[in-house]
Amino acid sequence: MNEASTTAITTDDRFTSSAGKQLGIYALYALLALSALIYMLAVAAGSTGSTGASGAIDVVNNAITIALREEPPQLDANRATDASSHVVLAHVMEGLLGYDFDNHLVPGVAERWEIREDGATFWLREDSLWSDGVPVTAADFVFSWRRVVNPDTASQYAFILYPIKNAEAINNGQLPAQTLGVTAVSERVLEVEFERPTPYFDKLVAYLTYYPVREDFFNSTNGRYGADTDMMLYNGAYLLTEWVHGSTMRWVKNPNYWNKENKGYLDEIRTAYITQDVNAKLNMFKDGQIADTHLLSPMLPTAMEQRWQIDRSMDGSVFYLEFNHREDRISRNKNFRRALQLAQDSTELVYKVLKEPSYLPGVSLFPAWLTGVSESFQKEYPPPMSKLDVQQAREHLELARRELGIDKFPPLMLLTGDTPISLLAAEYYQQLFQKNLGLEFRIDAQIFKQRLDKMRAGEFDLVLSGWGPDYNDVLTYGDLFSSWNLQNRGRYNSPEMDLWIRVAQSELDPQKRMDAFGEIQRLLHEDVVILPMYERGFSFVVDSRLKNFRRRSVGPEVDYNYAYIDVTN
Amino acid sequence: MSDIAPIDFAPLIEQQEAHGLSRPSLSYWQDAWIRLKANKRALVSLYLVIGLLLFTLAGPLIWRVDSAIQDLDQVSQPPGTNRSALVVDDYKPWFGDQFLAGAGLRLAEEATSQAVRVQWDALPGASGHRVYRNLFPVGEERAYGIPLAEFFDVNTLHFEDRLDLKRGRYYYSVVALGDRGELLDNFEMIEVDVQRVTTIAEALERGLVDDGSELLVGDQIDLSWHPLGTDYLGRDMLARLMAGAQVSLFIGIGAPFLFVLFGVVFGSMAGFIGGKTDQLMMRFADFVVALPFLLFMILFKIAFGIGPGESGVFPMLVALVLLAWPATARLVRGQILQIREQGYIHASQLLGAKTSYLILRHMIPNTLGVVLVTITFAIPSAIFTEAFLSFIGMGVAPPTPSWGSMSNEGIKTMLITPHELIFPALFISITVLAFNLLGDGLRDALDARMRNTE
Repeated sequence: MNEASTTAITTDDRFTSSAGKQLGIYALYALLALSALIYMLAVAAGSTGSTGASGAIDVVNNAITIALREEPPQLDANRATDASSHVVLAHVMEGLLGYDFDNHLVPGVAERWEIREDGATFWLREDSLWSDGVPVTAADFVFSWRRVVNPDTASQYAFILYPIKNAEAINNGQLPAQTLGVTAVSERVLEVEFERPTPYFDKLVAYLTYYPVREDFFNSTNGRYGADTDMMLYNGAYLLTEWVHGSTMRWVKNPNYWNKENKGYLDEIRTAYITQDVNAKLNMFKDGQIADTHLLSPMLPTAMEQRWQIDRSMDGSVFYLEFNHREDRISRNKNFRRALQLAQDSTELVYKVLKEPSYLPGVSLFPAWLTGVSESFQKEYPPPMSKLDVQQAREHLELARRELGIDKFPPLMLLTGDTPISLLAAEYYQQLFQKNLGLEFRIDAQIFKQRLDKMRAGEFDLVLSGWGPDYNDVLTYGDLFSSWNLQNRGRYNSPEMDLWIRVAQSELDPQKRMDAFGEIQRLLHEDVVILPMYERGFSFVVDSRLKNFRRRSVGPEVDYNYAYIDVTN
Repeated sequence: MSDIAPIDFAPLIEQQEAHGLSRPSLSYWQDAWIRLKANKRALVSLYLVIGLLLFTLAGPLIWRVDSAIQDLDQVSQPPGTNRSALVVDDYKPWFGDQFLAGAGLRLAEEATSQAVRVQWDALPGASGHRVYRNLFPVGEERAYGIPLAEFFDVNTLHFEDRLDLKRGRYYYSVVALGDRGELLDNFEMIEVDVQRVTTIAEALERGLVDDGSELLVGDQIDLSWHPLGTDYLGRDMLARLMAGAQVSLFIGIGAPFLFVLFGVVFGSMAGFIGGKTDQLMMRFADFVVALPFLLFMILFKIAFGIGPGESGVFPMLVALVLLAWPATARLVRGQILQIREQGYIHASQLLGAKTSYLILRHMIPNTLGVVLVTITFAIPSAIFTEAFLSFIGMGVAPPTPSWGSMSNEGIKTMLITPHELIFPALFISITVLAFNLLGDGLRDALDARMRNTE
């Protein structure tokens, strides 16, 4: 632009011409300086992350680049609670059992296993090695599990080990950790004693809290186990070779892994980005920087326009409005809860407000994917439903008002997370209950941790809450509202519920056990413990060259263990 | 040169108004007003500001729509969307129709925005089916669109779509699934034109008709009118902009007036008294300048016991007033120090004028220009602060809108429904610009030294 203008000026008198020339020279300098600066910045940007941007699919190196949701706080499987840690650990570690590509339970470190009424035995394979070449032994599991239930570890997932004998008592500090009902009979044989019959124990041991930890290595880390790449031992399909905290990670194929033929086809997986921002992820996917991303409903037109092949998966979790059943709360009144139940309709929430094609309108605490005795649980035990009936809802509210002996309902607190979806749902419910019942709800939007704290402290009337499955059994949801479950944040307490949960936990006959869950489902509806909102799913897109990528409902939310690059198309 | 006549030496006839003024005498304010009127930019800005005040105060009286009401039939509609709808029966669940005529993928009944019901015959070699919906026809690349549902058996051959159906054309596909749930190659696709419908119950609920008996199934009616479209929950944008303007202008005008008033009193006291007191007061002002605004905003929010879900507009006002005054105070003090030493002040002091007379007659009028300009420049910055704080979630609580919070919501869907961002952003921009230009014009008009330049 500047050059053109300077040439035009030369016809003018000498002064303007020289001024123009000067201007042109300045412009040239500025341009040169700018490009030099841009180049320098580009070089600098490239050098900060050595896992640099080489594109989503690196065919030459058989590597892919992905984005993580957030930085894992640490990678100690015994204490991990968040989804990101779960994703990383599921690739670098392996438990006694695992899930194959089709979500079937398959042998992991254990070659074979046996579950009895009073306990279980696992026979470990010989060729499962730690990343330093030492075999994984039964003692590593004993050490790990004792550590989980040890109250000093303060593992939030310790409850998942409670089926093991004495686990709960140890976790409550009543017994020493050595009394845990698990013994290494030999290097290869692990014996487990149950507290109560646990027919689903095989599904439990696939969960990350049950992953092994080697004692001598653990002691050598001086309490920093899981804090960095050299503070961990791996036995999974990948090794974590690089971890730039807050920025990037590099997972490399594990040469010692026993099942290389069926797992871990990629040579390298780079987690080059950490972001929760789906819009940013969409743009990175569009630019070919990451291999997969999930889509929210506003992005679907873009995805259709780009002619991407959109896929969907259920995430397994169920979201619901949970009432606060504590003594001093209005939501303790059953008629009040019934009024709210009758004044809402989850199909409107999903179809018209959230508009997510992968969501299912909530009908029950037990999601559609759970199996009952032989087929879908929801089919065997159709959830009781109530139709939207504003008239009846108002009558119940009036009853509640009289029972509580108040003139007017005070403003109530609706606690919610800070994600776009939960804020949207909260605003919808706020207006819905205002319109249908004349109730004023105030939205208290909090970040995840803060929301959990407030739920624990009972600082809410109604909370938008959810539960994801830890293992593939109805019980992963079924015991949520027992009076002793710490996850029962609303402190719902009913002897009848507790009774059925005890049955469901220990009954061995599948039919009777499922009947108990049917009763739990009925009670949840009749007592209006919760109002189901939706079952979450994800619409997502994957680079067309990456095959066998999985989003899972049980286990890590994204699974690259079976993924490979296919360039035939 | 040579013809000098005696008449040339005759005395002039006495004229009536020898030293008459050619222009009427103007007071300071009249003069300022004339100069402001000559400034086109400032004048337009003034009209904009007046229009904005009318929009905020009189608007809600004319456009009587509740800004919280959610019209879920018209979510995220841009302005000027067609809004005619056919009245149909209430929704009833549907479980497929065994005796439906036809073959292949087909509609079970006319497609409406209430539900699209499709049914198909099992595809050859399929162990299950997956239903897709697309905005574009399926081409070479086999992008079927949005997956809506899967069925892992060959007995379920119908599907009802109720997800966010809008008026227009969709392409539905059903694709065969293999044993492991993988996509097979064969699929069928149909074009579906969806008609917008509503039910009598919905029409009554939304106040489209007064009486349900007026309406029959099969009638055409118009859904509620939203001149500026609706937001992500079907709320009327115009009503929300008006409600948002109240918050924005309350902060935008209330806060500057209060802190400028305080600043004037503080600054003129310091300037007039002078000496040690002046030093002390101005050091205190310096101390206040150093206090961080955001931190105090949060502290006030807690101190006032404003819980979650309650509006943070009041603490915002208090924080602004308590922390933003030193700039005005300094400006006014400077002016007063200057004026105090002027000759006419000494003259009137010698003539016996009292302090109060001096302040009211000489000092305040002479600083007024500066003060007015400060106010007009403070207004846009306060509006901007409010917008910013609401944008980060420190301001208003839902469902109360403010321009900042509306922009925050709108930016999430900027590419698909730009009107949700454009309107509030436009209002913020126009308001800030108008106040800035008006302030600019006022500064020129009120500057007494500029009087000579005209």
